[in-house]
Amino acid sequence: MKTFIALLVYLIAAPVAGGLISGFDRKLTARMQGRIGPPLLQPFFDVFKLMDKEELVVRRSQNFYILFFLIFAVFSGGLFFTGGDLLLVIFAFTLAGIFFVLGGYKASSPYSFVGSNRELLQMVSYEPAVLLSAIGMYMVTGSFSVSDIISFPGQLIVMLPGLFISFFFILAVKFRKSPFDISTSHHGHQEIVKGITTEFSGRALAMIEVAHWYELVLVLGLLYLFFAYKPAAGVAACLISYFLVVLIDNVFARVKWQMLMAVSWSAALLLGFGNILVLYFIPR
Amino acid sequence: MPYFNKSPWIIHYDASSCNGCDIEVLACLTPVYDVERFGIINTGNPKHADILVITGSVNEQNKEVIQNIYAQMPDPKAVVAIGACASSGGIFSECYNVGGGVDSVLPVDVYVPGCAARPEAIIDGVVKALGVLTEKRRKFKSMSSGLEHLEITAAGIEDAEQILILQKLAFQSEAEIYNDFNLSPLKQTLEELKADFKSKLFLKAVMDGRIVGSVRASLEDGVLHIGRLVVHPTYQNLGIGRKLMRAVELEFPAAGDYEVFTGHKSKRNIFFYKQLGYKPFKSARVSDKRDRIYLQKPGKKEEE
Repeated sequence: MKTFIALLVYLIAAPVAGGLISGFDRKLTARMQGRIGPPLLQPFFDVFKLMDKEELVVRRSQNFYILFFLIFAVFSGGLFFTGGDLLLVIFAFTLAGIFFVLGGYKASSPYSFVGSNRELLQMVSYEPAVLLSAIGMYMVTGSFSVSDIISFPGQLIVMLPGLFISFFFILAVKFRKSPFDISTSHHGHQEIVKGITTEFSGRALAMIEVAHWYELVLVLGLLYLFFAYKPAAGVAACLISYFLVVLIDNVFARVKWQMLMAVSWSAALLLGFGNILVLYFIPR
Repeated sequence: MPYFNKSPWIIHYDASSCNGCDIEVLACLTPVYDVERFGIINTGNPKHADILVITGSVNEQNKEVIQNIYAQMPDPKAVVAIGACASSGGIFSECYNVGGGVDSVLPVDVYVPGCAARPEAIIDGVVKALGVLTEKRRKFKSMSSGLEHLEITAAGIEDAEQILILQKLAFQSEAEIYNDFNLSPLKQTLEELKADFKSKLFLKAVMDGRIVGSVRASLEDGVLHIGRLVVHPTYQNLGIGRKLMRAVELEFPAAGDYEVFTGHKSKRNIFFYKQLGYKPFKSARVSDKRDRIYLQKPGKKEEE
């Protein structure tokens, strides 16, 4: 029963929170650029508008993939917030991303093709850090279950500082923000038009947007796990990290994909794997 | 709920502007004017855009580009012509290569005067276009519910071209079902279609001046053969096909039987005809990929 209520709260609260966070993001970005910026609820206005638009497709099946992207993004978050298995969460999450990429490929326009390629590269670059974080948490708490990790007596960040930094590193990749916004980008930067989402319109684009909100909440949830011992510290860490991601987004130009791979893998291997090696030798 | 006035996404196209108006359009995005306050985003992708903003006059080379961009935008959409050149051709209107303002190729909703148009005027124009968008959306919705603006009349030979385009568009989904892109409706040439006008009655469904559906029929030995019922993919599931069928049946009240056919895997078509009272009575093999199912409905006379 408790699980059911948690799931229900998650299903309703996650998109609301995700939408508010991305509204906050846009407001913050505008302030950093010396603008006033859109209202906080702007992402919701956008999605409601997109629901009302005509749906143009290159191939009808492209929208099915997007539907599954949304379903699996919701599913992986649901597993996470009901205290499921962390590995399963990560794999379901990867599957969601794969559906998104397939949708982009199916649309078969040059721009969405390039975007899909790059989205795959982004997935390849963030996956090691996410998996290593899960392994690190297992090594400290002795369980892959999210509910066990949350109830572990002690701050994980103390034992896993390297993993935390490598995880923080991939936030920009996962949120598709500069300097790693190579698969799709803000509307302002148009050199590959809108990358992977170029060929989606109307309801499909709205679904992508909502799936991104669920993703956002899930990734911040993963970040929260590092500080789960003290909930206030966890929430603060999420907010500060997100603020830093937005700040970095506004400060940096985009890098090439080679750089993305090199940087994110070195961070994951040196800091993340190094952290795990150290853990291995620390007697507990 | 009309969220269009809260989140208008624009796409900006520079037709053959002197860049004066372009710079003013871009100025709207800067911190001084900051149009994102109103949720306005410059997308650069026609498939995400609601409003097409065009600066500069239309010339022979970009005529097709402009129409292409417009065609790629999902409905409801609006067009704003920025500056004197986009509105009327401006000082370039007499040039040998200039076709005139944007309205020579597209239906323009809002004209923003000025040379160059001031950012305030551009923002005003986009805000005006929001009203147009909301109105268009209302129309779009009322069309999908009541179909008030639908008009079904007999088609003439001058409609042949439009009907052929529509036919090829509508039969695409059939071709996908059978993975057979050699279906006869997809292969028909304009001459063949024009020749059909001699033997068959063509009906067309017109919405806002655009043919969105068509059907043709011929009476042979008291049996009315109805064929090539096509509805534009965007306007499907709105009851247009049903109305066309009813109209074509009414055109021939004397017919003993009404007959249609479709492919054996076209479940939706078979379901559609069954709902209209047609019953399958025979099938024939047309290729190794496809069987043809014939459906029949007795005419009014026999019922009485």
